[in-house]
Amino acid sequence: MSTRRKVTLVTLAVALVALVAFGIWAVGRISELDEATQATNPLFRWEYLFKRDRTPGELWEATRQHLELTIVSVAIGTVLSAVLAALILRFHWLRGIVFTFAGFLYTIPSLALFAVLVTYNTNWTAAVIALTSYTLLIITRNIVAGIDGVPQAALDAADGLGMSRIQRLRKVEVPLAMPVILTGVRVATVTIVGLVGISVVIQLGGLATYIFDGFKRTYSTVLVLGTVAMVLLAVSLDLLLRGVERLATPWARRSAAR
Amino acid sequence: MSAAALLAQASDPTNLWQWLSTSEERTVTGDIPSQVWVTLWHSVLAFVVAAAIAIPLAAFLAHARRAEVASTWIVNLGRVIPTVTIVGLLALISLRNGFGFEPWPIVIALILLALPPLYANTYTAVRDALPEAVGAARAMGLTEMQILRRVELPLATPLILAASRVALTQVVATEALAALFGGSGLGRYITFGLANRDTFEVQAGAVLVAGLAMTVDLLFWFVTRFIVPKPLRPAPASRHAVQRIKPTQSITIPINSLGGTP
Repeated sequence: MSTRRKVTLVTLAVALVALVAFGIWAVGRISELDEATQATNPLFRWEYLFKRDRTPGELWEATRQHLELTIVSVAIGTVLSAVLAALILRFHWLRGIVFTFAGFLYTIPSLALFAVLVTYNTNWTAAVIALTSYTLLIITRNIVAGIDGVPQAALDAADGLGMSRIQRLRKVEVPLAMPVILTGVRVATVTIVGLVGISVVIQLGGLATYIFDGFKRTYSTVLVLGTVAMVLLAVSLDLLLRGVERLATPWARRSAAR
Repeated sequence: MSAAALLAQASDPTNLWQWLSTSEERTVTGDIPSQVWVTLWHSVLAFVVAAAIAIPLAAFLAHARRAEVASTWIVNLGRVIPTVTIVGLLALISLRNGFGFEPWPIVIALILLALPPLYANTYTAVRDALPEAVGAARAMGLTEMQILRRVELPLATPLILAASRVALTQVVATEALAALFGGSGLGRYITFGLANRDTFEVQAGAVLVAGLAMTVDLLFWFVTRFIVPKPLRPAPASRHAVQRIKPTQSITIPINSLGGTP
């Protein structure tokens, strides 16, 4: 057996043993709850989801609020990032300044940003400003990285064909950078779904309302419902945007299968 | 406005600085130094555990060129799941089982937050370590473990440290979420301030949380400058790195490490 294989096997075995041990311990702890509590207060009551008439409407409303905030902020963020990236590509000295500033915005904890902005703005504006500021670093960086990564040969070919600077950007650089740009938009979107959850502290609704509500009332069904709904929303948006990436870059499927 | 409200207002601090410098009314939220300490303790514990799991595992697997697709999937899934949901769920489970509000829910959630960037970047860095150097080491008769320890890991240091810095900063910033679920830490000032409509307390909390995150970020950056092996010091943007690593990874903060979901 080669060393390579041994190393892999040992690592996987250790990870597996650790995982199983943790699982056994966790299940052991949870089953220590006395039977009465489990019976009267189960972790999840399916009746809440299927037998309660108001649940579907409320869930839909919360999802709509969540999506609205996400989409608005990512859209504004994408437009602003495109402008910033264009400026960076035109004036190279801006690069350091813009990335340092965007990095600074990214470091500010979301809870803090919501809390401060809400003292000066309406809740909705505050949330959109905060959420947008978090998308800037991710999307701008990806646009610039994508366009930087366009092979010199493609640029030379475009110049050789007599394209103007604008034509070259539109027909060669942006399409070739598209996979990286779309990845940026996807990562930003998924990040924002999580951050909208935190914007619940400024009473804007959204799926995380269930989480906080459930926690406050120690009603586990509501909390679990919120958690599952939010994770599902994030995962499905991620998959959806991955689909868009594939559709938008048909050539990428042939060349690099990764 | 009622007399009681006027009285309450009179004794309230009139600006942010006054709030920060008068400490006698912080009976519920605790004093600032102890909350800073709690925040740091939670964050560092979570970060160390995450690094101890992610870095060796990723280094071994990347050296063996194993589990590439599986890692990508797991890392992506880990990045998609919002931390708020994890803290909430864990806090509930912890309460139901008599563990209380703290510290496990927030620490486990922070570990899960730090794992994906650390793992993904270590994997990429070790996998993309200069193949010529690795080949040369193998030709000189180094064993596989020696190659990993003496060649690949040192070459990967800049990227791993850059990722660690982002992960640690995110962890410190996200620790504030503990306060939303009854835990302690600097987020308390924000949640209590919002609940009591105390603008200065909210602002003070925000300034403290952001300040701590940035201080940790700067400190880590400073330490990084000394840990990175000398020839690699011009950071990930050294000439080799730019040419070798995919264009998406040539910028100072590795792209892989962004987009954890707080």
